[in-house]
Amino acid sequence: MSEVRLAAEPRTEFGKGAARRARRAGKIPAVLYGHGSDPTHLALPALEFARVVREHGHNVVLRLDIADKSQLALTKTVTTHPIKNYIEHVDLLEVSRGEKVTVAVPVVVTGEAGPGTLVNQETNELEVEADALNLPEQLEYSVHNLEAGTQITAGQIPLPAGTTLVSDADTLVVNVTAAPTAAEMAPEEAAAAEAAEAEEG
Amino acid sequence: MLIPRKVKHRKQHSPKRKGLAKGGTKVTFGEYGIQALEPAYVTNRQIESARIAITRHIRRGGKVWINIFPDRPLTKKPAETRMGSGKGSPEHWVANVKPGRVLFEMNFPNEAVAREALRRAIHKLPMKCRIVTREGGEF
Repeated sequence: MSEVRLAAEPRTEFGKGAARRARRAGKIPAVLYGHGSDPTHLALPALEFARVVREHGHNVVLRLDIADKSQLALTKTVTTHPIKNYIEHVDLLEVSRGEKVTVAVPVVVTGEAGPGTLVNQETNELEVEADALNLPEQLEYSVHNLEAGTQITAGQIPLPAGTTLVSDADTLVVNVTAAPTAAEMAPEEAAAAEAAEAEEG
Repeated sequence: MLIPRKVKHRKQHSPKRKGLAKGGTKVTFGEYGIQALEPAYVTNRQIESARIAITRHIRRGGKVWINIFPDRPLTKKPAETRMGSGKGSPEHWVANVKPGRVLFEMNFPNEAVAREALRRAIHKLPMKCRIVTREGGEF
């Protein structure tokens, strides 16, 4: 993934009142820290940053233009509003070229498993260590024609070159089980119907 | 029906209903979920009713997760009783749900069937809700 250039402004006023004013003005309050330096408070353009996250995911390397200097940063935490889904705040981590960072990368299951099976994805994200400028956007695994009873662990997920797994290799990621048959469902349904009748009665 | 196995205090103060959900606001286990848009006390009977509505509609081939637990007791005084004489007896078990909380999650191969199952479950719940997906709905 290449870096994305973004203009950022230093923030001079703090607190919830200032943060709300910034959001009303189309900015996102952000903080930049790392490498033992003092935290820098920034304001990012809301629409542009939302587009970057939508297109590149949460692990995106930004080239921030702050006043007259430039700084590489990795998004560490993106806080969103639970209902309105806009970005409330961003934590940015300073990174440098060639630095290895640990990030959580989403696992995407592709393909369709064999007939009569149910694919359960037990883990959605895996922690990997990779070069800050070459972070994988997602890890894909094909479950095409897998049979019931197959279990895929983190160690079996193919990783891009230069990426190492940090999560436990035995972590269960995908579990392919047999879909319950009509005969298996019948007693359950009968019990549910009885319970409903008892409740009504 | 869901009920705590053991409680430290039999009668508690009423749960606070201010604010938004602090966690559990994203779909994490399944593909689709029900998200609360209003605060509410969801009783164990409502949770069970919504669960039955989902499982009966999808019949088989899916999985359902319940992300809330009714761990708060609500008390009530008997009818036609004069005030006083202490707090009433525990009557309901409720989950204190704040806006943004994902209540149920499910996996099902067919999206239309999954959405219909969740729509039926929403009718069993005491507040406004919406259907959310794991990927969708961001920014």
